[in-house]
Amino acid sequence: MHRRQFLHLTGLSSAGLLLSGCGTNFLSDLAGNATEPFNQKVEELLLKPQTLVPEFPISQIEPEKLLVNTFRSTPQIDPAQYRLIIDGEVAQPMQLSLEDIYKLPFRSMVIRHVCVEGWAAIVQWGGVPLRELIQLAQPKNSAKYVYFQSVDRYYESWDMASCLHPQTLMAYQKNGEPLPIDNGAPLRLAAPIKLGYKQSKWVTRITLTSQLLKYKGYWEDQGYEWFAGL
Amino acid sequence: MTSNSLERQPARMPKRPKQALLAKIFHWVNIVSVSIMLTSGLQIYNANPVFGGRAGPHVFPLFTLGGWLAGGRDWHFAAMTLFALNLLWYGVYIGLTRRWKNRFVGGNDVKALQVGQNQKRNAYAWHRIVYTAIVPILLLAVFTGIGMYKPAQFYWIVDAFGGWDALRIVHFMTVPTVIGFAIAHSLLALKVGGTRLLESMFW
Repeated sequence: MHRRQFLHLTGLSSAGLLLSGCGTNFLSDLAGNATEPFNQKVEELLLKPQTLVPEFPISQIEPEKLLVNTFRSTPQIDPAQYRLIIDGEVAQPMQLSLEDIYKLPFRSMVIRHVCVEGWAAIVQWGGVPLRELIQLAQPKNSAKYVYFQSVDRYYESWDMASCLHPQTLMAYQKNGEPLPIDNGAPLRLAAPIKLGYKQSKWVTRITLTSQLLKYKGYWEDQGYEWFAGL
Repeated sequence: MTSNSLERQPARMPKRPKQALLAKIFHWVNIVSVSIMLTSGLQIYNANPVFGGRAGPHVFPLFTLGGWLAGGRDWHFAAMTLFALNLLWYGVYIGLTRRWKNRFVGGNDVKALQVGQNQKRNAYAWHRIVYTAIVPILLLAVFTGIGMYKPAQFYWIVDAFGGWDALRIVHFMTVPTVIGFAIAHSLLALKVGGTRLLESMFW
């Protein structure tokens, strides 16, 4: 009872802070803005764009540890109607159905999924490497960033190097089974090299851009770090 | 009378110990950066407590910095470079000046404790043991922190601790250790050299 009341209180207070985040956290923003450009440089240097992050044996999967964080509610998606749009700085914009996507090269990986909140879970993800999709659409040289639009209006943006990493997948399988709707079915981002909030669920549109836009991502626009590399 | 005794006091007082300027700078930067790391770290802790997860006990907001998770991370990642580089240059400094040999715990302290006759000498030995022991703890905080900051690039750090949860626990345990150290270190310094020693380290 006490614990519940306490949680309720902390929930309320953090919601309040979230709403007034920009104003009350002026100093935090200042500290972040002063050091983030340097930290991001270090993060970019640390990222090995073509080196595989070591994977885990299937026996080490931790199904109960993967928590579901959804910023609004779980959307309803009809798999037959579903289309993935790839557009922006590409020579060949396209729309793919799930059948088209399932025919593309498949990759399975067992990796550690790390949440910004501090928890982590070893998960198996299966799907098409994002770089296969990007190559299909024939990216222009000007393409430097990739935006992801989701059905629930969640949005994200990534640097191109991380998108082309061989373990960055558009996943439709989790722990050996079809991806559950709560985890982002029919198609979500999954990668061992970015924090969980970068890994959009229910993705319907992938847009290549030449620069970062004013809106960088749902959480980033509220103060989270943009690069969020692991 | 009063003014007379006041005037005489400086002459009677033993000289304040002299501390190397660089040691004082290290000490100050360390206090400030550790305080930021500690309080912003507890803010991050509250997003998903190491012990008990979301339902586990949270740290009282008075002791946290940043207001919410992103603010806590802002502070943590702003101060981490300062904290780590401060340790780095200090390590080079005590190596080059051989301070490591005579300003930290040595065989003579252990010997003094074994003989155990001189109370003052024993307190001094404990003082040196305690402030020497915190150095590897601070380095452990940096090491485990790098593992948590970039677990994909430094997967071997995570592996060395047997997994993510163990790594997180070790990283967090540096917090109560540092708090305990700060208390013991202050008390021992007072016991060994009184307020004169304390002042000599700060000003």
